[in-house]
This record gives sequence, structure tokens and C-alpha cells, in this order.
Amino acid sequence: MAFLTLVTVLTSALLLVQSPRASEYQVKAVFLFNFAQFVDWRSPPAQDPRAPLLIGILGDDPFGAILDETVRGERLGERPFEIRRLRQLRDIEACNILFISRSENERVEQILAAVQNRPILTVSDGDDFAKRGGMIQFVNDKNRIRLRINVEAAQAANVTISSKLLRVAEIVRTPPR
Amino acid sequence: MAIRDWPIKRKLTAILLLISGLVLVLTSAAFVTYEVVTFRQTMRNNLATRAQILAANSTAALAFANEADAREILAALKADPHMVAAALYGRDGRVLAAYPAAAAAGLIPAAPEPDGYRFEGGRLVGFTPVAQGANQRLGTLYIASDTKAVSDALRLSGIIAIVVLAIAMLAAYAMAAALQGPISAPILALAETATAASTRQDYSLRAPKFGEDELGTLTDAFNQMLGRIEEQKTELQQHAMKLEQRVAERTKELERRAVELQAANSELDAFAYSVSHDLRAPLRSIDGFSQVLLEDYGAQLDEGGRDSLQRVRAASQRMATLIDDLLKLARVTRAEMRTERVDLSGMARDIVADIERTTPDHQVEFAIAPGLEAEGDVRLLRVVLDNLLRNSWKYTGKQPQPRVEFTAVDENGDRVFVIKDNGAGFDMKYADKLFGVFQRLHSTAEFEGTGVGLATVRRIINRHGGRIWAEGVVDQGATFYFTL
Repeated sequence: MAFLTLVTVLTSALLLVQSPRASEYQVKAVFLFNFAQFVDWRSPPAQDPRAPLLIGILGDDPFGAILDETVRGERLGERPFEIRRLRQLRDIEACNILFISRSENERVEQILAAVQNRPILTVSDGDDFAKRGGMIQFVNDKNRIRLRINVEAAQAANVTISSKLLRVAEIVRTPPR
Repeated sequence: MAIRDWPIKRKLTAILLLISGLVLVLTSAAFVTYEVVTFRQTMRNNLATRAQILAANSTAALAFANEADAREILAALKADPHMVAAALYGRDGRVLAAYPAAAAAGLIPAAPEPDGYRFEGGRLVGFTPVAQGANQRLGTLYIASDTKAVSDALRLSGIIAIVVLAIAMLAAYAMAAALQGPISAPILALAETATAASTRQDYSLRAPKFGEDELGTLTDAFNQMLGRIEEQKTELQQHAMKLEQRVAERTKELERRAVELQAANSELDAFAYSVSHDLRAPLRSIDGFSQVLLEDYGAQLDEGGRDSLQRVRAASQRMATLIDDLLKLARVTRAEMRTERVDLSGMARDIVADIERTTPDHQVEFAIAPGLEAEGDVRLLRVVLDNLLRNSWKYTGKQPQPRVEFTAVDENGDRVFVIKDNGAGFDMKYADKLFGVFQRLHSTAEFEGTGVGLATVRRIINRHGGRIWAEGVVDQGATFYFTL
């Protein structure tokens, strides 16, 4: 009986340890997918209305298969989703949404400069990403994931973020240099 | 009071009220039903609209699992007290936010149910999808409203319906009371006229006419009927009056004639009396001197002369008897009458005894019923019985077994006295001459007589207010009947 109880407790503890990490990126994957619905790319990157909507992941992929599963079979209008893991900066130009991994924290400025003035929604969970000129930053807040948005950055890149999305996010600015 | 005994006014009013009431109740019911149905429809549409707005606002909150924002959005429902509960479910079916924030257990379903709106348990509940874009379902919005608004609307429209109903019924009653006049007034007038005509028997009354409808026709017919009755009544009255007048005229004339007749009769009687009386003196001289001639000079005359004188005497004596009878007849009419109870049986026996004493050579069997009585003048009635009995005695003279009966029978309440003989009788065709003066059915040679007796008898009977008549067959007898 005691053994059984011990097993149950241990199992539950293991699950608890495992689950936040898994669920954190699960949530972030869904958020990434959801951004597509609240964001408008002013100049269409592709003429074909059925061209896939590209989500690029730059740096180490924290999602694993989660993101692929999230978007599988989903469409925005008639556009299917496509996930690309990127190694080189020049590959980012075709993306609609670019997720910059924490691993690229050091060269965020360089990456942002590379996508400047391109209609690419930049997302990251790196520290101060939004203040550093990124558009949307995931912020962990008491086991919840909050959004921090730099509206100016988005406007500069001709990416319109829905006011609904702004409603649920914290708006930040790039501090003047 | 049974409905069929109601006055016609009340019946008409009741019918009008019943019809308008029924129509109003049905209309009101339709109105209330329509109100409630449309109100529920409107309420459902309003809730759906509100849910859509909420859903549209809460897409981001659901997409990015922002509880605070979701709660804030739902909290806007506070403005409407009818909103009972609301909730936002994520894609996974878990409640992200609820309204009110501390919702009681059972107020919010644990998991979303199929989309749509329905009334259940006094609430209107609905599930509506929350989606951004065309096909991207982010979650579900649950919303519940109480149905007080519906019951309020029902109550309001019910009150309106009742008030309208009451006012309309009052108006209908007033209208009915005012409008039943054209129908009930002629009927009432007819009934009144009919009652008055029959109770007062005044057929000069006429029912007033109100229009040319069926009631007008009825009134005309009724008035015509009254008119005809009146005419007939007047005619009858005129006839009765004419009749009375004629009767009066006739009576007057009869009276006049009676007076004339009486005068003539009494004149005649006086004449007869004086003539008879005056005739006696010369007759006595004739008889007396004839007797003197016979007694004193009879020896000087031959047989023929004596016989002639004898004949003169016999004739003058017969004439004296005739005159006596005539005087008797006249006296009968002139004599004063004293009415008393008379024993006719006894009187008849006296007369028969007298006859048998004076004429013993002709014996007749008299059968007289006992106890015959009558009201009348004793002397005159004696004349009647004397005449009739002597007649019977006389006319049975040639019978081998003469017999005379005096009896009485009751006929139609009248006492009829009967004197019956088995004598010579008479031919019925002369029956009306029997009682005339000087009327004789037999010659003097056959049966003696002056022809005055039965006339006298009739006069006496008439003076008593009675009747006399006779039946007879030749050679088989005669029967005399008289009443008094």
C-alpha cells in the first residue's frame, strides 16, 4: 500500500517536472500559429493566394515536433502553414513569421537589422527582445505566458498588428539611443 | 330567469356582447401570443448579437489565453441585469474566464455544448463559436440570460389586453344598448299595442311603424288585422242596433194593433151584447103571442094552422137559446177573472151528475181521473168543462157503448188536460173551424147545437193564457186537449 502510494507520488512529481517545459512551448507554438490571424502583412510576399505561410525558426529549435503538430492541417484562408528551421541569415527573407531562438540572443541586433523594413513578424522569448527592436516577445509571468509588443518596430516593417492582439499584450518602445 | 324568458332588449345586448367579447378575447389572445413569440425571437436575436460582439472581442484573449482580458470583456455584461452568466472556453474546452467572476456552481456548464440558443429552465442560454478569420475556431462563448424580460413583456401585454378588453366591452355594451333600439323598439311597440288592444279591447289602436324591413311588414300586417277587427266590430254593433230598432218598431206596432184589436173586440162584444139583449124582447112577444094564439084560438084553427104556430114557437125558442149563448159568450169576454185553485175532477163529477139527472134516457160511461187541479176562475172553468163534457155526451148519442174520459198528461213541463170520447168524431180537415162562432160540422137535425159553445170555451182558455186543440176521426171519436 505504502509502496503504491510512493509510486503514485513519484509519478506525479515526474509529470510535474516534465509538463511545464513541454506545456510552455506547446503554448508558445499555439501563440505563434495564432499570430498569423491577428497580423496583416501589408504587401503580400507572394502573388499566389495559396502560397504557404512560412514560419521560420532561427537558432536552436526549442519546439521539436510540437510546432509542426500544431500547424498540421491548419490554413490561413487558403494558405497552408509551413515550418522552416533556418541556419543562415539570408534564408529569412521568405519568412512571414520569424521565431528567433534564445540561442541567438547575442546577435539579435544583427538579425533584426537583416530583416529591417521587411514585412516579417519577428518573435522571440529572448530577454528584452521587444525593447531591442523585436516585434513580439514572449514573457514568462507566474507560469503564464504574456506578450510584449513593440508596435513601432512592427509599423516600421509595414506589419499591422490587430488591436485585439495589442489588447492582450504589453506595449513597449525601443528606448532612444 | 331562463334565457328564453329574457326581455328582447337584454337578449340582443347579450348576443352583441357575446360576439364582440369572443372576438376581442380571440384577438387579445392572438395579440399576446404574437407579442410573446416575437419578444422571444427578439430576445434570442439580441442575445445572439451580444454574444457575437463578445465573441469577436474575445478572440485575442482566447488565442493568447489572457484570463484577465477575458474576464474584463465578460464583465461588461454587468450593465444588463438580465445577463445571468457567461463563460469563455478555450479550444481544449476548459473555462478560461467566467461571469460573474465568482460564478455559483452549476451556473456555468463544465464543458461547451453544441452551438445554438435555447430556452431551458427559465433561461435563454447560447453557445457561440469564437473565431478569428474564416475557419479558425479559437473557443466557445457561453451566455445565459434570464427570461424575466419575457415574463415582463407577457405581463405587460396581458395587462394591455385586459385593459383594452374591458374598455372595448364597455364600449360594446354602450353600442349594443344604443344600437339594439332599431330592432327591439318595433317589437316592443308591437307587443305593447297587442297587449293594450287585447286587454282594453280597443281596436282603434295602431302600432307605430319604424321602417320598411320585416318588422315594418309585421307591423303593417298587425295594424291591418286590427283595422279589420275594428270594422267587423263596428258592423256587428250597427247590426245589433238596427235589430234592436226593428224589434222596438215591431213591438210598438204590435202594441198599437193589440190596442186597436181590443177596442174593436170590445166594441163588437158590446154590440153583440146589446143586439142580443134587444133581440130578446121582440122574441118573447113572438113566442108569448104565439102561445096565446094556440091556447085561446087553437080550436078555431085547423091542423095546418096549429102546426105552423107550433113551428113559430119552436123557432123563436131556438132563437132565444142562441141569443142566450151569444150573451154568455159576450159575458165571458167581459167578465172579471178571479184566479184560484180549482178542483177540476170534482167539478167534472158535479157536471156529470147534473147531466145524468136531467137526461136519464141517454146513459154514457164517464171516466174521470181523480185529483185534477188547475189555477183559474172557477165560474169560467165550469163553463169550459160543462161545454166539453156535454159535447162529448151529445156526440156519443149514436154509440151503442158511449164512453168519455177526462184525464191529464204532462207534456214538455205543461199540464195538458184531455177529454176523449168515442162519438161521432170529425174530419181533421175541418179542425181549424171547430172553435169558430156559428161553425158547425154537423146539422142541427143530427146533433142539436148553436155553434157558440166551443167558441166560448176557446175564449175562456185564451183568457187564462192557455191553448186548446182537438183531434178526431169520423165515427171513431174526438179528443180535446187544453192547457191553462
